[in-house]
Amino acid sequence: MQNVYTVGQINSYIKNMFVQDFLLQEVSVKGEISNCKYHSSGHIYFTLKDAKGIIACVLFAGNRKGLSFRLLEGMQVVVRGSIDVYERDGKYQMYAKTIRQDGEGALYERFERLKRELLERGMFAPEYKKPIPGFIRTLGVVTAPTGAAVRDIINIASRRNPYVQIVLYPAVVQGEEAAASIVRGIRMLEKRQVDVMIVGRGGGSIEDLWAFNEEIVAQAVFDCGVPVISAVGHETDTTIIDYVADLRAPTPSAAAELAVYDVALLEARLAGCGQTLNRQISAQLRLKRAEWKALEAKLKKNSPLGRIREKRSYLLSTEERIAAAMKNRILKERHRLALYIEQMKGLSPLDKLNQGYSYVSDEMGRTVTDVNRITVGEQLQIYVKNGTIYTSVTGKEFIDRKGKES
Amino acid sequence: MKEEQTDFNLEEAFKQLEKTVETLEREDISLEESFKAYKSGMELLKQCDKEIDRVEKRVLVLDEDGESHEF
Repeated sequence: MQNVYTVGQINSYIKNMFVQDFLLQEVSVKGEISNCKYHSSGHIYFTLKDAKGIIACVLFAGNRKGLSFRLLEGMQVVVRGSIDVYERDGKYQMYAKTIRQDGEGALYERFERLKRELLERGMFAPEYKKPIPGFIRTLGVVTAPTGAAVRDIINIASRRNPYVQIVLYPAVVQGEEAAASIVRGIRMLEKRQVDVMIVGRGGGSIEDLWAFNEEIVAQAVFDCGVPVISAVGHETDTTIIDYVADLRAPTPSAAAELAVYDVALLEARLAGCGQTLNRQISAQLRLKRAEWKALEAKLKKNSPLGRIREKRSYLLSTEERIAAAMKNRILKERHRLALYIEQMKGLSPLDKLNQGYSYVSDEMGRTVTDVNRITVGEQLQIYVKNGTIYTSVTGKEFIDRKGKES
Repeated sequence: MKEEQTDFNLEEAFKQLEKTVETLEREDISLEESFKAYKSGMELLKQCDKEIDRVEKRVLVLDEDGESHEF
């Protein structure tokens, strides 16, 4: 016949088994919160469950510092503590020491807490953001020396501008050493005085990216005197340093594009400027030449040469007028003269001689018109049409023609 | 780095070029002035060109002692 035990005995036996079990003294269990009761004593009672079962849990008031958030129904948590038997009820339950949100949930909580803290400290303030220089000579990169991120950054940076010096700090970007390694990289590149710095890595799970959510990394980015571009994961990943950095790039490739100017574009711009300058100076020259032409025409119009020509032609025309007037005058006088000649012709003594009359003069050449003035024997000359007759007076007779006439 | 660089700055240079072109675009500018603007613009361009240090760079890797090696 087998031994028979009391309930108390068997429960005590079972409890003892639990107590002696190493694992059950310190164990982490994950599950979903249900039946959560915040007791007035400060203890919290709840049930942890998953698809396969449930386990009763209690968090005593004395362990409340092990819980940094309010437990809510359905929340996924990891409870660390011991499992023991409650003899009076014959039940085992979990005595929680710490409760954290499971996986991403817990990290998310840390992320939000640090973000809030840094925000309150003003580390995200826009007035602390340094401008990213437009034309850099050296680019610092803090990232893993292998993988897509470093390759993308180097490819894009050297495609856009092979003349920019890239200085890489090969950092550990995930795991426990990552944060310290990244901080070291930032400080060394700052000392190296690069013009701009890319801090980041390729995509991964929230745990993989976690180093970029650490406070020391955020502080190092904030303290860095060189402008920092953060480039962690993909477009949808946001880390704390994205808020602290001077510029957030959605991906490492994008960071390289933001940091490194395209030398071809710059050269095109320079060439464009040169063309504009040339075009402008040509336009200026054309303009000035046109102005010059206009002035030249104006000047020519008012030139003394023109005046001289004008005066000369005036002189010429005046001269012509004078000559014409003179000629006219001479012609007129000549007519008058001809008239006189005609008149004179009628009075000419020679004509009279032609008509058979003759002309008598004394020895002195005086015309003989008075018979009383000559004496007999006096020598006289008689002029006829074709010669002179010398004669002497043989006699004379006075005839009173006046009396006869009257 | 900035302190080590000459005080020449590409961004400043572009601003200056912009101004030069504006000067040249003005019609009331004298020929001498326009020549001066043109000359300074061309010199600026030449300087910009010189400023683009056209030497292909290899990626350098920093080690823990701050020494750099080729990647």
